[in-house]
Amino acid sequence: MPRPETADRAGLDLEMRGIVKRFPGVVANDHVDFDVHEGEIHTLLGENGAGKSTLMKVLYGLYHPDEGEILINGHPTTIDSPRDAINLGIGMIHQHFMLVPTLTVAENVTLGLRSPRGPLLDLDSVSERIEELSATYGLQVDPGAYVWQLSVGEQQRVEILKALYRNATLLALDEPTAVLTPQEVNELFATMRSMTAEGHALIFISHKLHEVLEISDRITVLRSGRNVGTIRAEEASRERLARMMVGREVILEPEKPPVEVDGVRLMVKGVRALSNRGTEGLRGVDLDVRGGEILAVAGVSGNGQRELAEIIAGLRPTTAGTVAIDGVDVTHADPGRRRDLGLSYIPEERMRDGAVRDFSVAENLMLHQFDKPPYARHGFLDFAEIRAHCDLLIRQFDVKTPNPEAPAKTLSGGNIQKMILARELSTNPKVLVAAQPTRGVDIGATEYIHRRLLDQREAGTATLLISEDLDEILALADRIAVIYEGEIMGVVDRADANIEQIGLMMAGIREEAGSTPPAA
Amino acid sequence: MKQLRNWTPAVLLVVFALVAAACGGGSGDTTTTAGEPAAEPFRIAVVAPSASNDLAFTQSMVDALNMIQSEMGGASAVEVAVTDGTFVVEDAAAAIKDYASQGYDLVIAHGSQYGGSLQEIAPQFPDVSFAWGTAGDTFGLPNVFAYEAASHEGGYVMGVMAAALSQSHVVGIVGPIEVGDAKLYVDGFKAGVLAQDPTADVKVNYTGSFSDVALAATAAESEIAAGADVLTGTAQMVVGAVGVAKEKGVLWFGTQADQTQLAPDIVVASQVYHWEVVLRQMIDLIKGGTLGGNAYVIDLANGGEVISYNPGFDLPAEVKQLGEDTIAGIKDGSIAVPRS
Amino acid sequence: MAEFFTTAIIVSTVASTFRFATSYLYAAIGETFGQRSGVLNLGVDGIMLLGAFGAYYTVLKSGNLWLALAVAAAIGMLMGLAMAYASVTLQAEQGISGIGFYLFGLGLSDLLFQKLVGTPLPIDGFPNLRIPLLADIPIVGEMLFDHSIIVYGAFLLVPVAAFVLNRTTVGLNIRAVGENPEAADTLGVSVAKVRYFTVILGSTLAGIGGAALATELGIFQQNLTAGQGFIAVALVYFGAWRPLGVMFGALLYGFVAAVVLQLKTLGVIPLGASDLAAMLPALITILALVVAVQRERQPAALTKPYERGE
Repeated sequence: MPRPETADRAGLDLEMRGIVKRFPGVVANDHVDFDVHEGEIHTLLGENGAGKSTLMKVLYGLYHPDEGEILINGHPTTIDSPRDAINLGIGMIHQHFMLVPTLTVAENVTLGLRSPRGPLLDLDSVSERIEELSATYGLQVDPGAYVWQLSVGEQQRVEILKALYRNATLLALDEPTAVLTPQEVNELFATMRSMTAEGHALIFISHKLHEVLEISDRITVLRSGRNVGTIRAEEASRERLARMMVGREVILEPEKPPVEVDGVRLMVKGVRALSNRGTEGLRGVDLDVRGGEILAVAGVSGNGQRELAEIIAGLRPTTAGTVAIDGVDVTHADPGRRRDLGLSYIPEERMRDGAVRDFSVAENLMLHQFDKPPYARHGFLDFAEIRAHCDLLIRQFDVKTPNPEAPAKTLSGGNIQKMILARELSTNPKVLVAAQPTRGVDIGATEYIHRRLLDQREAGTATLLISEDLDEILALADRIAVIYEGEIMGVVDRADANIEQIGLMMAGIREEAGSTPPAA
Repeated sequence: MKQLRNWTPAVLLVVFALVAAACGGGSGDTTTTAGEPAAEPFRIAVVAPSASNDLAFTQSMVDALNMIQSEMGGASAVEVAVTDGTFVVEDAAAAIKDYASQGYDLVIAHGSQYGGSLQEIAPQFPDVSFAWGTAGDTFGLPNVFAYEAASHEGGYVMGVMAAALSQSHVVGIVGPIEVGDAKLYVDGFKAGVLAQDPTADVKVNYTGSFSDVALAATAAESEIAAGADVLTGTAQMVVGAVGVAKEKGVLWFGTQADQTQLAPDIVVASQVYHWEVVLRQMIDLIKGGTLGGNAYVIDLANGGEVISYNPGFDLPAEVKQLGEDTIAGIKDGSIAVPRS
Repeated sequence: MAEFFTTAIIVSTVASTFRFATSYLYAAIGETFGQRSGVLNLGVDGIMLLGAFGAYYTVLKSGNLWLALAVAAAIGMLMGLAMAYASVTLQAEQGISGIGFYLFGLGLSDLLFQKLVGTPLPIDGFPNLRIPLLADIPIVGEMLFDHSIIVYGAFLLVPVAAFVLNRTTVGLNIRAVGENPEAADTLGVSVAKVRYFTVILGSTLAGIGGAALATELGIFQQNLTAGQGFIAVALVYFGAWRPLGVMFGALLYGFVAAVVLQLKTLGVIPLGASDLAAMLPALITILALVVAVQRERQPAALTKPYERGE
């Protein structure tokens, strides 16, 4: 393979025509047309399962299409493997980074390529070229650093460098902003713009509408495996895109009437806890949530959100500090006791912690209270009562299931989440912990879940919303706390919040103008 | 489905391997020397852990049976069946049971590790006589004989000669684990060395394994480093020590079978077992209707143990005489070998 | 105890250590390649046994030691091919299939030995090759430079293995495939090819390790390795998947074994305690392993079959 040269080869037009990819029981891509040209950013937008990833895997040679053709610069081309794709100048930035953490940046970049020194590695020349590319595209990273030492943003730069190093002129970026702070998103967009200026063609995959509007030249929306339309960014609006994605009108910004705030229902004070890896996951967290308000915890994933949810739910021991529900110290209480005091919990890993896969919808709906009256009397279950209650919940919460006896695992992500929501909200909780309640959930279900959370707020529930989606937080929260490396960087009122400031805190820079992140 | 697919090859492999292992160790070599149809031959079967030509434990019994057969009139008078290589006890038990149900007159379980199985099998076949060795216990069963070797006697004789041959007055012994026949032999050898040369230094090294040849080799190296110029050792793994002795040119005394073949230049003599001495007695009793109950010992006096000299080794006459005198002394009781 | 510190005994103990460590080293370095690429081969001991028998039988029949090494290597290669087919292509559970290969090797080597040989007749191994000048250095010369070529070979293999793993494109592919096969796949590195290569290479070295054992001891017997292949697998963990670490592990194991035997010989360890002392090398290795495992991370994809698109 020839040594990659900078942007000389830039200029690649891709056209995918009538792509069909079937899997048992589903048509993941149903005659999809998609094209992207030199110097352009073309966004692929759609819900989970709409067929975006499948289309990209077809492009990258990981899947073989059942029908359709791919034209590169007008010539029909078959792409049988990632190596073919790479040789054609196609690069893929995967949502889950395809990096080897124990290797250095330079080693990751050169992996799979021939070395000018035959069987021997030549990491010096690799590093040199990485530095050239870094300078051209504003992708600062130390070629000698190990990938495990890098921040998420830096790792993403390595991914982009890998593609550029391979002389990629067409890059597909799959949900590249999901793990970035707002500032890092801005840096990424700057890099993307400098790449199109050099003549690269970019495919951007996202479901964050404001980002899509900001960066795209054209936008193609996929729904249920079909292309429902390609429009220019100027013609697009969030509402229009959402409508195309869902197929009906969607209320993106639910109404949020003012609510009288009540007393403190959930108190977390000076709490410390270990993470699964044995490091300190929480380093002294203080939070108060009042009845009738939604306190949102913002932050980049992995900064202590899971630990925070679990210490409140009673699933993880604290090493210091106290947790109180409705004024009762529950620091050492078991989850059942906490539920009795009025706690409900929507866990982050809904299939692992929130539902029993093989239980029926009805059983899942009753998990927390089947042993309590009126559903059980003297140790015997009252099936008629249970059935009636389940039917009510399924109707109330719009859980789409063929019948209450269907196993939970047969439901879609959104419906499982609605089922969990139904169970957790049916007790009218005093305190609700909702961890990533809409992650991986389609827009329609998201809209519904948001409305339910706001209804609960009006009903006086104290809600702790943990989310990595800033749009969601801005739409729902009354106050916003930002978590970074197990500490709360600051708490701001929604009314006073701006993305810039929240983004800085997410990167570890404290609210009060102090610019030093806490010691790691 | 995926789970199943992942497991299937693994399971198949294990099954395949187990079958292969069973073939390798289990159903070993079964040779039957059929008798003439006219006469009613005496039928003997032996089940043994290693190969019939192992120059050691198994071969000593197979040789003895062949001798019995020719003494008693060949294949027409005595039928001998051998299942060797059954280091897996369960395989041996199956073979023992098989022979018993085929109506053999005497089934020999040649391995102390087979005792437990025999104890279960023998009562199921009250008309069949069993022999178990090396062991001193018949479990009180009327149809089980036991046999063992007074290996300390031969050990003592060779120990005396070893002391006489040693220039450095350091003698090394490599043993497996300090139990049974091995301990008996090692202690006898040591007593012999010290009887001849009370100032001699006897280095005893139990490696902790009956099978680890590399460990036995390293143990022999350590003894030679400590000054030993004459070595002996017992059990299966001792071939490693013989190899080292050969390489370093130190003398070797063998036991259980004639080990001259292993290292013709350095083997001085070996203690050889002649089980036919006790087999004859068993056969006589069986023919007379007594199927068991006795425990036999082969020793120098009854001719079951013989010191076999390496004809290729230039053993000084006075040392050989010393050996012969010791044998005579043990036989007539003037020398009492301490049995530990 | 003072007797231990005589020159002859120290020299012999160190020399024994190197000799003892040799067969472990071949097998463990081979296993290192496999594990770095994500494949745990627990069948090493069985492959060693087959290699040992193949080499022994070849020498017995032909007297040609180099041919014997080639035979052992070829046997290892074949076994490696089968192991790779099971663990890579069929994606079998590696621990289970490895045990299967072990039992297969144990059984087949014994079967062949009993059928074809029976009598454990001695063979002559590679003669000691005194390295000119170096071997004449007092004490050290005898410890290190008076061994057979197969011992030198094992120790020369260590820097070669380290170089291949760290400085070559093949090595980079191996390390990447063992940590994140998906990442390697997306860059056009064939995970299956890399794993086939490492498993076959590792098994070939295991076969040679068996040959080293049989020729150094000059003998074959049922279960000659007495579990060396399993210790070799442990040594890979002990050495934190680095050839140099693996070598130190092998030397430590060999040294403890040699010292324990020497102390028994000298009576420092009394007879009554000798069975207990026999466990020392394994015990020390396990202790070191516990420490090492807490310190080091194993290849992330170790024992995990790779299937595209999951």
